[in-house]
Amino acid sequence: MDTATHMLRTGRRGALFQLQMAARDLRNSFARIGLAWSLATHDVASRYRGSVLGPFWITLSMGLMVVGIGFLYASLFNLPLSQFLPYVALGIVFFGVMTGTINEGCETFVQASGMLSQTALPMFTFVWRTVFRNLINLAHHLVIVVGVLVFYGMWKVSNPLLALIGIVLMLLNASWISLLAGIASARYRDIPQIVISVMQFAIFMTPVFWLPGRFGEHQIYLDLNPFYHLLQAVRAPLMGEPVLPNTYVVLVSMAVIGWLATFLIFARTRRRIVHYL
Amino acid sequence: MTTASIRCENLTLRFPVYGADAKSLKKALARAVSVGGALGRHAGVTDVTALNGVNLELKAGDRLGLIGHNGSGKTTLLRALSGAYEPDEGTIDVHGRIAALLDLSLGIDPTATGYENIRLRGRIAGLSSREIEGKMDEIAEFTGLGPFLAMPVKTYSAGMQGRLAFASATAVEADVLLMDEWIAVGDSDFQKMAHKRLLKLVERAGILVLATHELPLLKLYCNKVMRLEGGVASEVVDIRKVEQLLAA
Ligand SMILES: Nc1ncnc2c1ncn2[C@@H]1O[C@H](COP(=O)(O)OP(=O)(O)OP(=O)(O)O)[C@@H](O)[C@H]1O
Ligand SMILES: [Mg+2]
Repeated sequence: MDTATHMLRTGRRGALFQLQMAARDLRNSFARIGLAWSLATHDVASRYRGSVLGPFWITLSMGLMVVGIGFLYASLFNLPLSQFLPYVALGIVFFGVMTGTINEGCETFVQASGMLSQTALPMFTFVWRTVFRNLINLAHHLVIVVGVLVFYGMWKVSNPLLALIGIVLMLLNASWISLLAGIASARYRDIPQIVISVMQFAIFMTPVFWLPGRFGEHQIYLDLNPFYHLLQAVRAPLMGEPVLPNTYVVLVSMAVIGWLATFLIFARTRRRIVHYL
Repeated sequence: MTTASIRCENLTLRFPVYGADAKSLKKALARAVSVGGALGRHAGVTDVTALNGVNLELKAGDRLGLIGHNGSGKTTLLRALSGAYEPDEGTIDVHGRIAALLDLSLGIDPTATGYENIRLRGRIAGLSSREIEGKMDEIAEFTGLGPFLAMPVKTYSAGMQGRLAFASATAVEADVLLMDEWIAVGDSDFQKMAHKRLLKLVERAGILVLATHELPLLKLYCNKVMRLEGGVASEVVDIRKVEQLLAA
């Protein structure tokens, strides 16, 4: 229907038609996935333009944070550094990618308003742009992850393949939340504040900096925390710990239900998003 | 190559107005003004009818000028033709590669250099990285910005930004070029270059749609003209009848 040389827009309505158009948007975004990648690399490059270290700052600042928090908390709580530092490093890195994808999702459409209001580009292109940008950040952080795992000899027990599945599940979930946040933020400008507050709250409610060992009868609070499952699916395999089957059930159902619901909302609002901006 | 064509049938486009005070809007509804589209309510939402039943048919080689008061719907029509706005009623059907020069900021990152912005804009327009590098020299030459291309765009004047945007947008070999006023920012040199490029577009049997308030510009670039008034379009007439159209 929409090709490089043919553009057709109609005033047709109806649920089925809206779904078709939303699916077409998604398809077109995959057909031009290179554009999302170009925009994302441009974003990262332009954030560090003019700085001496460039994107290496991503690695450096994360490294400093990991070492600082690792040493401080390990000595405060009397934990062995060789166990705690990798734990915190993995926690901060992967929780950070999740938070980044979700928080920056709020800006996805607002930031793209110039392009959305004078081109026929698919909306999903900008969703992938946000996801890719955070993937590029993650790639910079992987240096730290690998470094820590090697330094403390944890690589011998870690299961990278299972961790990769965890990362995929994490991104699948973070991206629908990101899209949902993007649509809601375009319409209601209070949403970004709410999202940031929730994510801030989540990082303290989730065992990122602390060990969940002493939960006992309060274990239920962990099991009910979706961010805990999202993090566990990546961190546990890397630390050579088992992932509970429960976690996969939660993550897969969250991804399926989340994407279905978000896609329906997208289909309903797609035409209007550009007017919200 | 596809032959360029534009076809709008009964095109109606309404902007929902979010966050406006409904009471004061109701008062405003009572007053008739010559500026802007018609305010109204549809399905419980206050909205502005920016385009109202517009019919338009353009074929290869047409250069249409859009005239009309502030808020008469010129920019909205251009945005709709670019595929950004979906109609509330009617259809828009455009054949050919579309290049829209509606506001200068499209994909322009002020902290990036001119070269980087050309690349970015080329990517948005659908060129591959290799295609862009292949055209880079030609685009750079056309901007006439020379060494400034290696400098951040935030150091450019408005006219220089205009050159950059125009050069990179028209480098795509678009069949349908949509332009809003701003072409006037360039100096006479630039206007001459732009004119040449527009003539090339016409040779390639492309279509130009240009919104402007300036009669000389209109006469220079267009062979047809259409007037919008409160979102309602006149007939498309020959440029020689523009005075009659303005008087009407
Ligand atoms: N994003 C928007 N949201 C709500 N209303 C809008 C929006 N854009 C335009 N309008 C309304 O649509 C009508 C047409 O606006 P448009 O920008 O198309 O006018 P124009 O002919 O380009 O005017 P000008 O000569 O001032 O550039 C106006 O009443 C304007 O208030
Ligand atoms: Mg305008």
